Amino acid sequence: MSAAPSGAGSALRVVDIGVAFGAGAGLSGVSFDVGAGERFVIVGASGAGKTTLLRAIAGLAPATGRVEVAGRDVSALPPERRDAVYLHQTPVLFPHLSVFENVAFPLRVRQASEASVRGRVREVLAAVRLDGFESRAPRTLSGGQRHRVALARAVAARPAVLLLDEPLAALDPSLRGEVREAIVAAQREYRPALVLVTHDLDEAGLLADRVAVLVDRRIAQVAAPAELFARPASLAAARFLGVANEVAGRVRGDGAFESPLGVLPLEGRGAMAGPAVAVFRPDAVRRVTPPEAGVAVRVVGHRHRAQRTSAVVALAGATLELPVDPLDIPPVGAELRVVVEPRLVTVFPVDAGPPAPT
Amino acid sequence: MTERRPRVAEVGRDPPAAGGPPPNDTIAPSGAEGGTPSSRAAPKVRGPQSPRRLARPFGRAVLVAALALSAVVPFALLALWSVSRQWFYPALLPPELTGESWRAVVGGGAALSRAAVASLVLAALTGALGCALALPVGRALDRLGGWRRHLGAAAAFLPVAAPPVAVGTGLQFFLLTLGLGGTALGVLLAHLVPAVGYLSLYFLGVFSAFDARVEEEARTLGATPLQVLRAVTAPMLRRQIAEAFALGFLISWAQVALTLLVGGGAVRTLPLEVFAYVRSGQDRFAATGALLLAVPPLVALAAVRLAARRTEVVPA
Repeated sequence: MSAAPSGAGSALRVVDIGVAFGAGAGLSGVSFDVGAGERFVIVGASGAGKTTLLRAIAGLAPATGRVEVAGRDVSALPPERRDAVYLHQTPVLFPHLSVFENVAFPLRVRQASEASVRGRVREVLAAVRLDGFESRAPRTLSGGQRHRVALARAVAARPAVLLLDEPLAALDPSLRGEVREAIVAAQREYRPALVLVTHDLDEAGLLADRVAVLVDRRIAQVAAPAELFARPASLAAARFLGVANEVAGRVRGDGAFESPLGVLPLEGRGAMAGPAVAVFRPDAVRRVTPPEAGVAVRVVGHRHRAQRTSAVVALAGATLELPVDPLDIPPVGAELRVVVEPRLVTVFPVDAGPPAPT
Repeated sequence: MTERRPRVAEVGRDPPAAGGPPPNDTIAPSGAEGGTPSSRAAPKVRGPQSPRRLARPFGRAVLVAALALSAVVPFALLALWSVSRQWFYPALLPPELTGESWRAVVGGGAALSRAAVASLVLAALTGALGCALALPVGRALDRLGGWRRHLGAAAAFLPVAAPPVAVGTGLQFFLLTLGLGGTALGVLLAHLVPAVGYLSLYFLGVFSAFDARVEEEARTLGATPLQVLRAVTAPMLRRQIAEAFALGFLISWAQVALTLLVGGGAVRTLPLEVFAYVRSGQDRFAATGALLLAVPPLVALAAVRLAARRTEVVPA
């Protein structure tokens, strides 16, 4: 887990942040670092406090703890002096200003010269493929164009940190791609540390260099997307990530996991000996045909998603999900034999409480 | 449930009876007879108009004309009175005209013109100061939650809802102790009381609909609160601030009771001067003053209408 990998070279350092929101206890003890030019995505369920955390970093919500931007403690500074631009979920453009003046806004408030304003605005508008839109009014733009203007305005400020609050949540799938590409292009061009919050795991996987999982008021895990989805650090994180398959069993004295799935060698990755739960993604389960041995399961249903069709099978009181050929779906009631790839299994002790602070 | 009226009724005809046949002066498309939705939506052909059907637009025209006359006739009479030397019953029109009262106004030396200037200054100051005070109050009320918001709104509403005589009597005692009785400053402060209350409620409504996220985003883009106010909030609320100024102006412009109670007759505003002319039987000057009193509301109405027309325009 890499919540605080560096410190000295960080564009953003969040130390022990606590924020109150809603009627609940709020967030506490949240710490992480984001490197310069890194894309850092925080995922969490709706109402987990993602937006409040982002607003606290921007200085828009009261918080305890420390926020450092480019090595400077900004905890006590107002939003305009934090060098961190915050973008709301839906693009908030100044309706009385043209596209040019919207993008020029952060430069004008810094009293930049007219020549540098013109040059800079043209440059960032070109970066988000909006050259020629300078004189347009915000109300005449499409949703995707508004997002790109907001993004251009944000990078025109040349912030050390760019905070994006679920920028893709309110968009249809085609616009998502457009805005996602604009975010990645602008971030690559201007290299701010990007912190983005979302509840969409697919977006997190597509955008992030590293992903932080916000569960039970804390950061449960910080990891690269591939590692995160393959090796959740806790049962809570695994459940939030929708790892899908859980099988109860026990870890034997020799470190192997014994369950209705059979005996899975864990090669030192297992929990302490005792009752445990194995979690694994659907793609860790594979159908086998004789003579290959496997565990007998019975199909009890199907799940159809845009990118995958799964069969739901029953196994000793539990249900598992495994990918199937969408053109050759085994019918309900069919008996299959399956094996689970031990490399892709993570085992947690049954009494796993909240994950340890990171 | 109310049944949708057929289109034919929209041009001044009666709708067919519910479930009954269509009127015999309309032609329903074949296969859609009887009062079915398709027949109601179908194009109709006009036939001869019955007296009952002609009565409805006539009635509307009479109502509109009565409304227009009730608005125009008093002002037309005032205009005639303002230029009549002597005009008594049963003469339909003034037998002799004079521009004396208007010359007095234009010349600037008369009590009427002095009062008009005093009213203008007081009203402009009330509008401007009222906006400056009520805008932050309205914003603060908007940010309050629950009972605090209701209590604040009720407090703002009190000087608006209470009779001006009651408010003026209380203010008179207070301002006299400050030595401001009978002064223009005292009258201005008195006018500000209902104006700030009214405008605070107005701005509470404005800020309830205002998207404060633009200000947050401006702050994180590097703007100080003052820059946000100057470059974002104020331009976005320009029309609302202008409307609030006009409201504050009109509250002061028409104020009689507070001016009289706090000014004690020493501060002469246009409404007081008109009252004085009416009491003393100087109808020509009273009419001239009354016409002057009507000018700002008419200008405000025209400005609001123009602003509304502008906001209806959606550029391509």
